[in-house]
Amino acid sequence: MTQTTEQARTCDTNPWYQAARTTAIVGAVFSAIFTVLLVVNLVGSGIIGPWRENKLAAMKVQVQKDSTNQELLAEIRQLDLKTRRDRFWRLEFADKATHMLLVSIIVLVVAGKLAGGMAKEPPRPQPVVERGEWQVREAKQARRAVAGGLAVVAVGMLLLAMTQWVSFVQGDDGGSPYASAEEKHGQWHRFRGPGGAGVSAYTNVPTSWNGKTGEGILWKTPVPLKGHNSPVVWQDRVFLSAADPNARQVLCFDGKSGRLLWTGDVPTVPPASGEKFEIMEDTGYAACTVATDGRRVYAIFPTGDVAGFDFNGRRLWHKSLGRPDSAYGYASSLETYEKFVLIQYDQGDGKEGKSRFFALDGLTGQVAWETKRQLPSTWTTPIVVDVAGKPQLITVANPFVVSYNPADGKELWRADCVGGDLAPSPIYAGGLVFAVQPYAQMVAIKPTGQGDVTKTHVAWKAEDGIPDICSPVSDGTYVYLLDSEGLITCYKVEDGKKVYEHELKEQCRASPSVVGDKLYILTLKGVMHIVQAGPEYKELGKCELGEECFASPAFVDGRIYLRGAKNLYCIGQALAGGGSGTK
Amino acid sequence: MTRLARITAFIVALLVPCLSALGELRFPPPEFESGYRFPEMAPLPVARPALYEYIDAALLVVALLLASYLILRRRSRRAIFGLMILALFYFGFVRDGCICPIGAIQNVTLTVFDSTYAIPLAAAAFFVIPLVFTLFCGRVFCGAVCPLGAIQDAVLIHPVRVPRWLESGLRLLAYTYLGAAVLFAAIGSAFLICRYDPFVGFFRLNGNWNILVLGVSLLVIGLFVGRPYCRFLCPYGVILRQLSRLSKRRVTITPSECIKCRLCEDACPFGAIREPTEDWPEGEYKIAKRRLTLFLLLLPVLVAAGGWAGYSLKERLARVHPRVRTAERVYLEETGQVTGTTNASDAFRTTGQTSEALYKEATEIRGQFAVGGAWLGVFIGFVAGGKLMALSVRRRRTEYEADPASCLACGRCYKYCPKEHERRKKTREAVGGR
Repeated sequence: MTQTTEQARTCDTNPWYQAARTTAIVGAVFSAIFTVLLVVNLVGSGIIGPWRENKLAAMKVQVQKDSTNQELLAEIRQLDLKTRRDRFWRLEFADKATHMLLVSIIVLVVAGKLAGGMAKEPPRPQPVVERGEWQVREAKQARRAVAGGLAVVAVGMLLLAMTQWVSFVQGDDGGSPYASAEEKHGQWHRFRGPGGAGVSAYTNVPTSWNGKTGEGILWKTPVPLKGHNSPVVWQDRVFLSAADPNARQVLCFDGKSGRLLWTGDVPTVPPASGEKFEIMEDTGYAACTVATDGRRVYAIFPTGDVAGFDFNGRRLWHKSLGRPDSAYGYASSLETYEKFVLIQYDQGDGKEGKSRFFALDGLTGQVAWETKRQLPSTWTTPIVVDVAGKPQLITVANPFVVSYNPADGKELWRADCVGGDLAPSPIYAGGLVFAVQPYAQMVAIKPTGQGDVTKTHVAWKAEDGIPDICSPVSDGTYVYLLDSEGLITCYKVEDGKKVYEHELKEQCRASPSVVGDKLYILTLKGVMHIVQAGPEYKELGKCELGEECFASPAFVDGRIYLRGAKNLYCIGQALAGGGSGTK
Repeated sequence: MTRLARITAFIVALLVPCLSALGELRFPPPEFESGYRFPEMAPLPVARPALYEYIDAALLVVALLLASYLILRRRSRRAIFGLMILALFYFGFVRDGCICPIGAIQNVTLTVFDSTYAIPLAAAAFFVIPLVFTLFCGRVFCGAVCPLGAIQDAVLIHPVRVPRWLESGLRLLAYTYLGAAVLFAAIGSAFLICRYDPFVGFFRLNGNWNILVLGVSLLVIGLFVGRPYCRFLCPYGVILRQLSRLSKRRVTITPSECIKCRLCEDACPFGAIREPTEDWPEGEYKIAKRRLTLFLLLLPVLVAAGGWAGYSLKERLARVHPRVRTAERVYLEETGQVTGTTNASDAFRTTGQTSEALYKEATEIRGQFAVGGAWLGVFIGFVAGGKLMALSVRRRRTEYEADPASCLACGRCYKYCPKEHERRKKTREAVGGR
């Protein structure tokens, strides 16, 4: 008879062993029961619960369509109550069963260990062995194991070293919180593109299309709400704003397909008086063009509400600047400079000190700097231009053209040379700033002075064909004016000598643009006149959109984006990839 | 039922308690129609009275005194096991596994490095008291009081001997874990030990699913490998190992002199029993001297390499810090390199703090990790070099003894010693004769 058998027999007759074994079996049985109960409960929670919840959700959708159905409402209440009761009952049950299972397992383990200990075979004396060499070998293996452990730690460190981390030094990873001026140059990031000049960086834009037949139209997408503001383009995203008395939206379209990617709502704070906000119809509820810094897009509305959105449509911030006191309704568009959103917030008659120029931090919407202006309401849009390697923020408001440092809002120079209700925005071309006083004069100013430059830096003035709404455009040699009646007037940049004038005899609201050696002039009826730039008027072509156009077009690589009264158009060819155009 | 079937059933039974962790409240608030008034918010739970901290510390002292008596005087495995189960019940399930001396390492570290942090009394007591007992009585805390050790000890069914050489290599993990835990606590980044406590989910009957799976995995390993967490991962164990070497009174296998019967050789499931040493083969001593010299020269190289590696990883290590992670996320969002936002970046934007300030703060934290990472690397290099040297020196032992560093004072080895049986017999006779 072997010792094991003897041991087994001894155990079988040991009452303590039997008690421990029986307890272990009881513990195992209870463990199994509670395990099964927990699994059943879990299955029930995972299947029945969601089924009821889905049913409840479907019933809720149904009741929204038929809110008078009392029977359905009662059924929903019953099911809701039942679902909740069941859920909480199951949670309570799981809690209790887990405790019971734990106790059962403890009983099983303790009793099992006791029984196992009693049944364990005792050790037997072993023969004496020589250990000298064995100990040397074991120490050697242990050293190798330590070296191996160190190698494991080293490999761990190496794997960790291969993980990515983010450098906060701009340019280290090719990313920065805002687009550089170079990046903006190839885009159409604000009203009339970079510098508000209305000059295309690309020459490969279409010269022929027809909105009625669809020829040359890549896509056409309805815009849900109205707005006179112009499209802004950043790579394959096209941004607009639109509004009615009740809603203010920023819209983002896919530049390739025209699909509306997202709509961002901009809230407003109603005045305490409860007075209804109304605006002149010609201005509309969304006159201001949005602007982007290449990372986010910003919009302002005549209610004084400003908001920033990321390119996925998430509203990052919203700020109310207060309802502007503006006779025709606020209409100045936004500009961006580095991380700032620049807002020319001129209002009132200028004597009340209501006007401000704000630079908001594009990331947070907080005011980065603010400059008070003793100037009345205006409808012009500021521009940021590079003058001899230094940025200048140029604004036009009755009676001054004022230049600021866009980094801190400090005034650089001002010229007292304009007046009246001002709508055309300034441009900078050929080393001169051009500001327009509607129906009266255009003033060319050298932006190199300091302080009051009225008497020292006004290069020349012109008085013929001065527009009331449309902003001027220049190819560097000539500056072109377009008034709302369709009169085109051309002056030499150098000396302000009038070169020609030509009457289109069509109403115009959109500002003219320059593409290479061509002028693009869009009429209110949606007819684009393509004219040779230069000292003589020579029409090269005429393209009809078939829809009224108030907004100025946006020109990017191989495409033109036009906003009609109801639709947004993309004119051009489908491109396989960006960047193929000629700058 | 076969052994395999029993083990499988047991594993399943261990996993099942984790199922309740999957439960979560999915309901939106009830959609009551008008007229219903929501009840007032229930008052916040009252903070645990400070008195309980003193009670916990007192209970710890009592438990350690009792453990010392049972381990060193009474020498009863059964009594030790009983105390261990009681400790598991109170310090584990009743106190939810918190506070424990292992996690208290971080509180103490943070106290040293952050003058604004006030360490709770319980944390300080739980850190210091077991160290004092270890200094005088060996690892009695591990043997009978630690709830993490107890839960592993309780499930040990079929111990498999881990080769001693392998144990030497695996132990390096515990040192690395200790170094990392101290580093992250010192910089205020994270309490790693608490975050990755594998058993706290069992004590609270709830917890992170991944951690529960880690805990179950360790317990499953623990069915065969005695106390894997204690031996290869526990950072507090690293400190206790060194203090236990200094202790005057500690576990001895035999109550009197060792007769070298070899009966206790396989008694310890934790591989802590060391056999008597014998002379090395001829010529081995010269080689050992050269090897020791080599390792002495290698030590500064390992230390320097470790320091350099730790320093180089500063940006990666710093990602454990929530501010650095938030800064990185905000930067990626603001530079258009990722789409969407996270809760952390959303929360940051509501603070009104500028992103530049956040980046600056994150850069400063990275600087702290440059220093801390270098020290961590130095520590690991020093430990590895020290171990290599220690393994090159011949130890002298004339009898079977429990290694003071590795012995977890569980008392399993007592009954294997014939001298212990003799002692017990005499004790019984003495008691009977009275």
